[in-house]
Amino acid sequence: MQRPAESPAAPKLPHETLNREPSTAGPSPAVPLQSSSTHTEQLPDIAAMTISDSPRWKYLNRILSRKGPFADEDYDTEMQKTFLDDFKVFGAGGLGCEILKNLALSGFKDIHVIDMDTIDISNLNRQFLFRASDVGQPKATVAASFVMNRVKGVTITPYYGAIQDKGQDYYMQFKLVICGLDSVEARRWINATLVDMVDNNNPESLKPLIDGGTEGFKGQSRVILPTLTSCYECSLDMLAPRAAVPICTLATIPRQPAHCVEWASMLEWPRVFEDKKLDNDDPEHVQWVYEQALKRAQEFNISGVTYSLTQGVIKNIIPAIASTNSIIAGSCCNEALKIATGANPYLNNYMMYIGNEGIYTHTFEHEKKPDCPVCGNLATDYTVDPEWTLEEFIDRLGEKPEVQIKKPTLVTERRKLYYQGPPQLNEQTRPNLEKKMKDLVDHGEEIAITDPGLPFSLRLNVIFS
Amino acid sequence: MASTAPSGTPSSKEKKYDRQLRLWGANGQNRLEGAHIALFGATATGCEVLKNLILPGIGRFTVIDDKLVEEADLGVNFFLHQDNLGQPRAESAAALLGELNPDVAGGFRIDSLENVLSNTPGLLDPGTTEFTHLLLVSPVPTPLLFRLPADIPTFFVHSLGFTASLRIYTPTHTIIETHPDSLVDLRLFNPWPELSELASEKTRALDVPELEDGMSDHQHGHVPYVLLLLKYLEDWKQSHEGHPPGSHSEKTLFKSMVMDRMRTNVPGGSEENYVEAARAVMGDLRTAEVSIGTKEVLNDPKCQDITSRTDEFWVIARAVKDFADSNNGLLPLSGAMSDMKAESHGYIALQNIYREKAHSDATVVEGIVRGHMNRVQHPERNQIDRDAIRLFCRHANFLRRLKYCSIADEFSNSNDEHKKAVLAALGGWDAEGSLIHDYIALRAYQEFYTSHGRAPGDTTSGQGGYEDEYRGIKRIISQYLQDVGYTKSVPERCEKVAKEIIRAGGGELHVTASIAGGIVAQEVIKIITQQYVPINNTVIFDGIASRTQTFEL
Repeated sequence: MQRPAESPAAPKLPHETLNREPSTAGPSPAVPLQSSSTHTEQLPDIAAMTISDSPRWKYLNRILSRKGPFADEDYDTEMQKTFLDDFKVFGAGGLGCEILKNLALSGFKDIHVIDMDTIDISNLNRQFLFRASDVGQPKATVAASFVMNRVKGVTITPYYGAIQDKGQDYYMQFKLVICGLDSVEARRWINATLVDMVDNNNPESLKPLIDGGTEGFKGQSRVILPTLTSCYECSLDMLAPRAAVPICTLATIPRQPAHCVEWASMLEWPRVFEDKKLDNDDPEHVQWVYEQALKRAQEFNISGVTYSLTQGVIKNIIPAIASTNSIIAGSCCNEALKIATGANPYLNNYMMYIGNEGIYTHTFEHEKKPDCPVCGNLATDYTVDPEWTLEEFIDRLGEKPEVQIKKPTLVTERRKLYYQGPPQLNEQTRPNLEKKMKDLVDHGEEIAITDPGLPFSLRLNVIFS
Repeated sequence: MASTAPSGTPSSKEKKYDRQLRLWGANGQNRLEGAHIALFGATATGCEVLKNLILPGIGRFTVIDDKLVEEADLGVNFFLHQDNLGQPRAESAAALLGELNPDVAGGFRIDSLENVLSNTPGLLDPGTTEFTHLLLVSPVPTPLLFRLPADIPTFFVHSLGFTASLRIYTPTHTIIETHPDSLVDLRLFNPWPELSELASEKTRALDVPELEDGMSDHQHGHVPYVLLLLKYLEDWKQSHEGHPPGSHSEKTLFKSMVMDRMRTNVPGGSEENYVEAARAVMGDLRTAEVSIGTKEVLNDPKCQDITSRTDEFWVIARAVKDFADSNNGLLPLSGAMSDMKAESHGYIALQNIYREKAHSDATVVEGIVRGHMNRVQHPERNQIDRDAIRLFCRHANFLRRLKYCSIADEFSNSNDEHKKAVLAALGGWDAEGSLIHDYIALRAYQEFYTSHGRAPGDTTSGQGGYEDEYRGIKRIISQYLQDVGYTKSVPERCEKVAKEIIRAGGGELHVTASIAGGIVAQEVIKIITQQYVPINNTVIFDGIASRTQTFEL
């Protein structure tokens, strides 16, 4: 038996009261219950009906119109009919099918969705709005039209592209953002964007971010109130970075089947096809890597290289099943419903679900990191050996799980340390890579770091050891 | 499963199911495809569970329900469409669910559990039924719970407002592939001759400097840490009257002894294999012990008396027990070894020692299985599945056996075990926030539904009837608490959850249906595939605080 974690009360949203203001549009006239014999002839205008008018929303309305013993003191059962009417939400990511279904069936009427992917056959075991005949189509548009057809009265606006295509003015229109994204990079971007949007003079600028993710039988969901609670960046060190195998192991002393695959994809492919990039989605490319890996494995008496393993290693495939998506997307949308309506307190602020052995949930408050590079205010202290070269400094920075940079550009107040581009700046700053840190910066000096993988600029205070 | 093409390229089915085959493999998938699930109650939650089982490809499903589609269903159940209004819910839901996966056969029956039990009992008779698993979604009147077939795995689900629960009953459930984090078993305290020989051979010149014809720095830095530890354990034992380092302080000492032998005048100032060795001292240096789960299996009475009707699982378990009994209590070796700093050939040589030992242990077990099967004239004695025996041996220390209390027993008034479990949960240090209160409130809901024929809170008078309903529920809760021997007044959380359940008035929220649908489907998959470990026997989900708790009730 597990220990229950009664989570402490969530902090109040500054715009919580704003959510509950009656909408300016007058209530729609009540529509009489449709009998089954007439429903085809005289359809009510469902889109115009509030939750409390409609027999369709009987169960949801019952919850909203009755005050529960766990709800806030000031929960207003009279106002409940307006809670969901003007609550525009945004969703994205691999949990998108589940999220759209759950939002539509929770009374949300204006939903926007972004997804840059097209449908792949391997999505069909869980992304239930897609059929074999949809393979190759954009996920966002297929999912939106499916849900709009199934749940009458909901409007879903799809956009086929990256979340980064849109700017702050776009995200400003929503009251809440739900993401079931599978890439760390996209999550960091949306998190940093929403934190950056917070304007203390405008309570509406604070958009709660609900984040969910799954892996096999495990998953997590969390509620982030940008600047108020721990953000995605605050918890980045919880992600164990995939232990990189040293290149020399791959090149000279492979021991595992995965070493053979990485040798074939990372070393052998660029050697043989100098100008052609390896495309993980091209079956011919994967086949080539598989065959090379197999050959190498035989050479070293290593067993276990299969096509499936090859794919798994080069695409970094994470197992995914319908049931876990259903749990996590359900949890994310449950929190959205509670935030939008106040019907019950919402999650403060993190739930982990582990289904491998029995069922275990860990619900806790993840603490805000005071020196978080996104939502904290301070530059982080960073201990530096003055004898390091700038290049060594960059290498060590890259090893830190809470930073995760790839191609950084570094500047201080007084000089350009290193620029990735444009070419003339790169050329100009390249000699600095071999200089020692003590010759480039002073103790206590601040270095600002930008990187294509960083959605914000990282500020470090150099502390010489 | 469709077979794999010789080039290794996956079939279209393997492509479709790729992300799940990485969890439960062809073994698990075959079992899923053999399942026929009957859903009683085409509620939102019931349909969500089926969605999550049809997508990964169960064999068949049948939706059993006797209601017509109402407007209110459309606001909560995704697998009903406006065009279905007034039509049988079973038929409409089965059709829309069936679209999810063309490889799954679906059917429906306009009927109720009560009717089936009374009028067509053959449908649920273990001797004649087509159903392999039953899924019951509340409301189910309590008397029906006493009439459920005893031999069919059953999943009983509540989903009311923000609260959900699942109760599992299945005949004794055994698991080989429990998917522990690691199967690695190094046997550093119990090396067998081949391993000891390899260790002494590969570490002979370990401490001799290269100039004196000893190991080069390269060689020294690539001796697998397993061999380092075996060598230094021998050294240790010679100076400790043959005893290995057992206590924490001895291990700390041993660890520093290992680190002292590391060469530090090398690039980087340290050797990775020695660092790995030091890191492994606390975890890997231990006598091989049989896990609690495996002990439960090996001590089960089914292992004692092998007959011609004993399942393969129990025959192999018996053979493993015999093996351990004549092998100083050591189980067959798993053969798994983690990656470690080493050169390719050195690593592969060591890996082969582990694999060959695992193989020879499994061969011995196979011989014992054969002996038992021949002795009892077992009908399968000529088709012994070697792969099954290897799989069993590989997981020998991670086996599980789960025995479930029947649902009827949970609801019987004379079940002392149940009372004890509830009382313990109510009296624990963490009782105040325990979801046992949610269980008690749900049980009161069940009782209320049984006596009133409707859910508490399912009234048209809205707010007004709330208090009356609460008094009725509270009476039931008080009675139940008295029955289990709880002498204090109704705990606060019980009251609050009861009010929350009345608030829902028997209605579902789609978000809870989605969550419960996922939780239940995960457990069904674990039971069907006989992989991973399901709960025994109840889990409660609290959607207000977003947490779960499990109980054996």
